[in-house]
Amino acid sequence: MTIICLSFLIIGIFLSLSNNLQFLAQQLSKNLTVVFFLEKGLSAADTASVIQAIQSSPHVDHVLYVPPPEALQRFRKRFPQLQEVVSGLGLNPFPASVEAVLKDKTAESADILRFMDSMRRVKGVEDIQFNRDWVERMRSLSRLARAVGFFLGGILVLASFFIISNVIRLNVFARKNEIEILRLVGATNVFIRVPFLIEGVALGLLGSLFSLALIYGVIRVFPFYLGQSLGALQDIVNFRFLSIGQSLSLLAGGAVMGFLGSLSSLSRFLKI
Amino acid sequence: MAEMIELYHVWKQYQKPSWALSDITLHIKKGEFCFISGPSGSGKTTLLKTIFRELYPTHGQIIIAGKNILRIPGSRIYQLRRQMGIVFQDFRLIFHRRVFDNVGVPLQVAGLPRKDMRRRVFNALRMVNLHHKIWEFPSSLSYGEQQRVAIARAVVNNPRLILADEPTGNLDTELAHEIIGLFKEINRHGATVIICTHDKEIIRRFAERVVFLHSGKLIGKEAD
Repeated sequence: MTIICLSFLIIGIFLSLSNNLQFLAQQLSKNLTVVFFLEKGLSAADTASVIQAIQSSPHVDHVLYVPPPEALQRFRKRFPQLQEVVSGLGLNPFPASVEAVLKDKTAESADILRFMDSMRRVKGVEDIQFNRDWVERMRSLSRLARAVGFFLGGILVLASFFIISNVIRLNVFARKNEIEILRLVGATNVFIRVPFLIEGVALGLLGSLFSLALIYGVIRVFPFYLGQSLGALQDIVNFRFLSIGQSLSLLAGGAVMGFLGSLSSLSRFLKI
Repeated sequence: MAEMIELYHVWKQYQKPSWALSDITLHIKKGEFCFISGPSGSGKTTLLKTIFRELYPTHGQIIIAGKNILRIPGSRIYQLRRQMGIVFQDFRLIFHRRVFDNVGVPLQVAGLPRKDMRRRVFNALRMVNLHHKIWEFPSSLSYGEQQRVAIARAVVNNPRLILADEPTGNLDTELAHEIIGLFKEINRHGATVIICTHDKEIIRRFAERVVFLHSGKLIGKEAD
C-alpha cells in the first residue's frame, strides 16, 4: 500500500502545485495591468502629461499613479525580509509608476503591444511592464507541473499495478486449497473471483485515501516550515488543495488501478 | 431402476503411450451403493474425476441422470457439482473456518441465506453425530471427526450422488467401519453412493456391488 500511496501522493502534490499556479494565473488575468515606470526627477507637469496620454487610450479602464514613497512602502510590506537591504541603500530606489488597468481582458495582444510601443516614445516613460507575460508563464508552469506530476505519478501507478497484481497472486496461492474446495462444491467463477477483486479495489482505494490525507497534511504544514524561507517565490511554490472533482478522481483512480491489477492477476493465475 | 451414471467406452490418456482408463463401459443405477476397487494406479481416482468433470476423458461418453456431462461448458460445471457431494481421503477442510462454515460452504455458494443455513448444517452434523462441535475449528477435531465433517458437507444440500475417494484411507479400522456405516445410512436415504477403495476388509464387510479396475481396465464380471 506504501507504493500506491506514494504514487497518488506524487500526482496529488503536483496537481496541488498546478492548482496554485492556475489560481495565480487567474488572479493576474482578472486585472490585466500595464505598468509604466517614469524617469526619475520628472516634473509634475510631465507626469500629468504621461498620465493623460495613458488615460486617453481606448484600451485603458482606469489608471493609478504610484509615487516613489508608496512604491517603497509596498515593497517593504511585500518583502519584509528584504527591508534591511533597502534601508542600507540610504535612498529610495523605486521610481514613480503609473498602473493602467486594461478594459478588455481579451484584447488582442497586437493592439496592446502597439499601444505600449507608442507609449515608449512618450517623454518621461522609462520602462513598461505588462503582466500578461506573467499570466502566460503561470499557465505554462501550471501545465508543466501537471505534466511532470502525471509522468512521475504515472510511473509509480504502473509499479503499484504490478504490486497489487502480485499481492493478489500471493493471496490466490495462499488460498489455493479453499478455492479448490469452492470449485468442487459448485461455486461459480464469479463467486470465487469477487473477493479477490474487492481486495484489489480496497487496496487501491485505501492507498489513494491515505495519499489524500498526506497531501492535506503537506499543504497545512508547508507554509510553516518551508514557505517563508522561499521569500518571493512563496506565492509561486505553494500548494492549493485539490478540488472535489480532483480528489474523487484520485480515489476513483486508486480503485480502478486496484481492480485492474487484481483482474490481471486472476486472469493469469486463477485457472477456473 | 433408472440409471444414475452411464459410462460408454471411456478412455483417458495423460501421457503417451499408456492409458489411465481403457474402454470403460459402466452403468450404476439410482440409489445403488457401489465400491470401485483396485490396486494403486489402477485408475480409480481418474474414473471418479471424470464423473465429476475434474478431468475430461480422451474418448467416450458420460451421462449422469440422463444428461451428457461432456457437453456442459466449463463455466456451467458448477451446476453439475451442486448435484453431487464429494469426499476425499485428505478431508479437504478449510482449517481457518469453523465446522459450521465448512459444512455450510455448499449452501453458501448456492446463495442460501445464513439463517436458513443454520438448520440444514445442524441436521447434516446431527446425521454424523457431530452437532455438538458445530462451532469448533477442524484443527481441534480428530481425524475421524474431520472426515465426518467432510461427509456432512457432502450431504448438506441433499445431493443425489455421493462420490468418495478413499474416504477411510487415513483412518484406523474401527473408524473406517464407522465412516462406511455413515455412507450406508446416506444411501438408505436415497442417494447413489460410489466409494473408491483398495481396502479389502471394507469391501468384504460392506459390499453390495464392487467394480474392479486393473491398469485402467474393468476386470471380473463388470468387464463382461
